[in-house]
Amino acid sequence: MSAVKKSLVVEQLRRNQMIELLAQGKRLDGRGLLDYRAIKIETGIIPKASGSAKVTIGDTQVIAGVKVETGTPFPDTPDQGLLIVNAELLPLSSPYAEPGPPDEGTIELARVVDRGIRESQMIDVSQLVIKEGEKVYAVFADVSILNTDGNLFDTTSYAVVAALLSAKYTKYEFVDGKLRPTEVKEALPLRTIPVSVTVAKIGDSIVVDPTDEEEAVMDARLTLTTDSNGNICAGQKGEPGTFSFDQMLNGADTSRMKGQEIRNILREATGFTG
Amino acid sequence: MPDIRRKYVIPGELIAEGNYRPVANVFRVGEKYYSTRVGMAEVGHEGVRVIPLSGPYIPRVDDLVVGKVVDYSAFAWEVDINSCFFAFLPAQSVFGRDYSPAEDSLTSKFAVGDILAAKIFAFDRTRDPLLGLAGPGLGRIPRGEIVKITPTKVPRLIGKRGSMIRTIEMATNCRLTIGQNGVVVITGSPDGVLMSLKAIKLVEEEAHTADLTQKVQALLGQGGATT
Amino acid sequence: MTTVLLDEQGLRHDGRKVDELRPVKIEVGVLKNANGSAYIEFGKNKIIAAVYGPKEVHPKHMALPDRAVLRCRYHMSPFSTDTRKNPAPSRREIEISKVIREALEPAVMLYDYPRTAIDVFLEVLQSDGGSRCASIAASSVALADAGINMKDLVCACAAGKVADQVVLDLDDVEDKEGSGDMPLAMMPNFEQVTLFQLDGILSSQQFKQAFSFALDGCKRVYQLQKEALMKKYFGQGEPSMEESE
Repeated sequence: MSAVKKSLVVEQLRRNQMIELLAQGKRLDGRGLLDYRAIKIETGIIPKASGSAKVTIGDTQVIAGVKVETGTPFPDTPDQGLLIVNAELLPLSSPYAEPGPPDEGTIELARVVDRGIRESQMIDVSQLVIKEGEKVYAVFADVSILNTDGNLFDTTSYAVVAALLSAKYTKYEFVDGKLRPTEVKEALPLRTIPVSVTVAKIGDSIVVDPTDEEEAVMDARLTLTTDSNGNICAGQKGEPGTFSFDQMLNGADTSRMKGQEIRNILREATGFTG
Repeated sequence: MPDIRRKYVIPGELIAEGNYRPVANVFRVGEKYYSTRVGMAEVGHEGVRVIPLSGPYIPRVDDLVVGKVVDYSAFAWEVDINSCFFAFLPAQSVFGRDYSPAEDSLTSKFAVGDILAAKIFAFDRTRDPLLGLAGPGLGRIPRGEIVKITPTKVPRLIGKRGSMIRTIEMATNCRLTIGQNGVVVITGSPDGVLMSLKAIKLVEEEAHTADLTQKVQALLGQGGATT
Repeated sequence: MTTVLLDEQGLRHDGRKVDELRPVKIEVGVLKNANGSAYIEFGKNKIIAAVYGPKEVHPKHMALPDRAVLRCRYHMSPFSTDTRKNPAPSRREIEISKVIREALEPAVMLYDYPRTAIDVFLEVLQSDGGSRCASIAASSVALADAGINMKDLVCACAAGKVADQVVLDLDDVEDKEGSGDMPLAMMPNFEQVTLFQLDGILSSQQFKQAFSFALDGCKRVYQLQKEALMKKYFGQGEPSMEESE
């Protein structure tokens, strides 16, 4: 028999049920095609970090922690602070997740979430400079994935965004040539709230916020991120299937529409009014 | 029941002292008997045992199980039976003794994702469980709603001599196929299936409490106290 | 800036007495996919334990013919420490994974599950001294939650020395600025030590006292582990009087 770890095989019974329901515009858990599962956001759960958030979408559960430290800027951008976004699919989260360095799927996840935040210019990194060319603030956003049931892209993204929106970091200053922390704690310089929306294509149907089972049968996946002005700032198509041109354009509309709804949830959870 | 003492226990708790027969989930040091699991300890004339409230399904020969085909080779289908091991259904048991990999193709019979009701006909500490389909009601289950319960609660769902499963089937007009491995398939009308799911959930949550039968009957809209 | 580790009233920097345990909270069954799980808060430590198994071993040649293989991975999230930590496992995490596994192994009845693996995964979400003891406590509860046969739970607690005084349950500050740290784990119903580590200098008298403090801390942790399991599994109802089959 094969020594490769078996990934989720969806029962034929469930697959048939899924297809039947999709034809009626419904899904196995009773949702409509454009309905998200319950989104819960809790901030400040890791008090030692500068910012943190636990996000659950259905049973998918992740925790993001933000640490703001000092560092040296990149040589080609001496007047900008640093933003590093990372995600780890922990072996706790699923019987199919193995311990070890991140695989291509997890790396793609981390990079897509990173781009959604970076390209939206959510953080004004020019405001994160202590001494140009020498010392800047480095914002680390790390995500630990605790339980998977589909749609890691959105769950991870919302956790990082919520943690950044609610973060408070210690300001540093140079005293007698030495870098010292001050007593001042501030919110990060934030400009917009990027919201990612992920859809899956199953047969001819497009559904938002796929579960593990839906992802196991999907042909392709599309993640689109919008900013507070409704501009689309990042996107990624994943999996070896295809989308028609219409489906791509509809995806953009869906992302803008659902993005607005979820942006309000993020505002409420973090108290951020921008 | 006379003379059965019951107590909730966790692993390592002392259940009894004396000379007893250790029946299940108990380990013995001298004349002391300790629980190995979280569950309900029973001490009686027949011995000492713990009925566990959680835990994996350990295959036993002759058990009826409901499994999912996850892979196949030239000689067998590999079946997920919700246990520590994957089980194998030999091609010979389906195609017959003169099965030839060159002529009979496994996928013509069962495909990946198919649900099977099967019996465990061989299992020991040295090899993976082997399944067989010889017997009434065994074979591929083409339709129905699948739900999983903790394997240790299957006896409660079946009930004394099948009383609980019959109660649910009659009230909902559905057919329940219950695998000892905790996988249940329900076939019937959508409303019946929904009601069956509620009853199963109730058994799962309240398996260790008193009046379970009454609670299930109340849920299914039946009064009275027949078991 | 020096912290006052012990003041004139015998109170520690966080106001605790020398034999006082930090507040501990344990929740059972917090993860949906894992076979068993537990979440523990031990002072400011926040740790999740997940158990998967018994399950097949891959690659198959790693399986043992007569018993289960117990594997343990202790990992700290990058945001769990004062300075952000690189997610790649450090030597410290690898050593701690090993001692935790060896602390749990005597209690798990591995011979009941030949040719399988039992995996214990620990993730430290926030760390504040004593995380390996908290991890052991959470792991035991997660193993019980998974329904794996065990001879006993394993409880754990550390004792140590600050300002030349033996104290129970050091936090991060006391760990860094004190002069002795002794984590201990044991099976309470059989009085067997399963984990012991020491760094620092303790006189013979201090060693005995620290050992006694740690045992006492372990017993208190055991009560909390037991309560947490009882609450999840027996929260409602009396033992059933009905028979099945």
